[in-house]
Amino acid sequence: MNIHLKTALDYIMRAPFQALSAIFVLTITFFVATVLSILVYSSGKIIRHFETRPQVIAFLKDESTPESISALQERLSKDSRVKDVKYVNKEEALAIYKEATSDNPLLSELVSPSIFPASIEFSLLDLSFAEKVIEDMRGEAIVDQVGFTANIGSQTALGDVVSRLRTITLYLRVGGGVLVGVLLATSFLVLIVIIGMRMTTRRGEVEILDLIGATPGFIRSPIIIEAFIYALVGVIVGWLATLILTLYATPSIVNYFGEIPVLPRDTLNILALFGIILAVEIVIGITLALTGSLLAVSRVRRGR
Amino acid sequence: MIKLKNVTKKFGDITALSDVSFEVDKGEFVFITGPSGAGKTTILKLILREVLPDNGKVIFDGIDVTEASKKEIPQIRQKIGVVFQDFKVLPERTLRENVEVALAVSGIPQSEWPSRVDKILELVGLSKRSELFPSQLSGGELERVSLARALVVNPKLILADEPTGNLDWDTADEIMELFEKINKEGKTIIMATHNREIIAKLKKRVIKLSEGKIINHEHSS
Repeated sequence: MNIHLKTALDYIMRAPFQALSAIFVLTITFFVATVLSILVYSSGKIIRHFETRPQVIAFLKDESTPESISALQERLSKDSRVKDVKYVNKEEALAIYKEATSDNPLLSELVSPSIFPASIEFSLLDLSFAEKVIEDMRGEAIVDQVGFTANIGSQTALGDVVSRLRTITLYLRVGGGVLVGVLLATSFLVLIVIIGMRMTTRRGEVEILDLIGATPGFIRSPIIIEAFIYALVGVIVGWLATLILTLYATPSIVNYFGEIPVLPRDTLNILALFGIILAVEIVIGITLALTGSLLAVSRVRRGR
Repeated sequence: MIKLKNVTKKFGDITALSDVSFEVDKGEFVFITGPSGAGKTTILKLILREVLPDNGKVIFDGIDVTEASKKEIPQIRQKIGVVFQDFKVLPERTLRENVEVALAVSGIPQSEWPSRVDKILELVGLSKRSELFPSQLSGGELERVSLARALVVNPKLILADEPTGNLDWDTADEIMELFEKINKEGKTIIMATHNREIIAKLKKRVIKLSEGKIINHEHSS
């Protein structure tokens, strides 16, 4: 085993409570950071879901020809106020209905595709365009009726939902960022204090190493490795705890939010998301350990 | 190998060394002697660049130690093996680990450690105690550990500061035999001591100090 790693492990074993306190603080920090990362990801997905879901549905008359439908679809695609234009035929409309009434199969057995109108669905780049676009669509010869997905309330209802979600997400990001910042600062200070104590108890050893020709890098190495061990254990335990909680809660979360993709649907994608979070946290952990230990070492050596 | 030119060193109002000059050639064994406070240890500290002189130069192996940069100091110290009066062993490391630390500091590959450590422990007679901790060893054995650590890196120069100061006569005699053996193998040794019996027995060059000045410079007979 490398002499620096062995020395670092020896220090940890000699003062296990100092090591545990450093690991505990770092674990809490990275647990909260991972939970907040997932919340920020999910809130972003919720906003995107509401922003990109079809907002306007133009139900087409039965006598509409494929050419006239294509022409309208093309016009809409070129309209700068509109995005995500999609044609839904009668069969697809029935499938949507069946899915929506899947808890009551009797309702879907009694219907046939012929009673569902085909439609063109699209989203608006900005909800302020809604009134004018709906009016334009009503003027189209092949359009029977125009629906707006916020039809449970007024035209401003959807805007309110998105705006409220944006506010919640902003609070989550800012509040979460501040909380993680405070926890990272606490971890940094705890690391400095513990490593400073370690350097003080090692003073005699450092003097001997100095006299037999050890370079500053040689003297610092076990201290930096020790800080790396604390940071890596903290990151991995905090991250792993969140991963286990998320995997455990995913079925309930997916069930609760229904079609809103708050979390990736399959385990591989969840692991990929957590993999990215872990990579970022390892970089943060290493930076924290490196700066904290170097600062502590330089302060103690300057004080000699 | 070592040259001190008009070296003066003061600690506050106390003059530890005053205009001291001498040379030590490669392979020589030189005693620096004198009463306590004469400046013996200060000379060793100056060579090791633990302290800087107020005046004069200290040349070791062609390098002016007093002009060495912070980066060069470890390189200079790695060429010097030091045996301390208070042993300066690492208390929480085994005897073997204490010797290995010197090899690690000098950047010697880990694959070479076992053979080098075994050989040096055999030389100082501590092979069977290699896994013991310093608290389990006697004063004489700790001095041998200090010597083993100094020798294992094959230094150009060995500095010994009162190596027998804390030892009984028999143990001191054994340690001095070891130093003599090492010197016969070609190592340069500078030893600070006030033990007259040892100086008389070994019949080596003696630099005698008093109140920071060289008062006598006897060459070996």
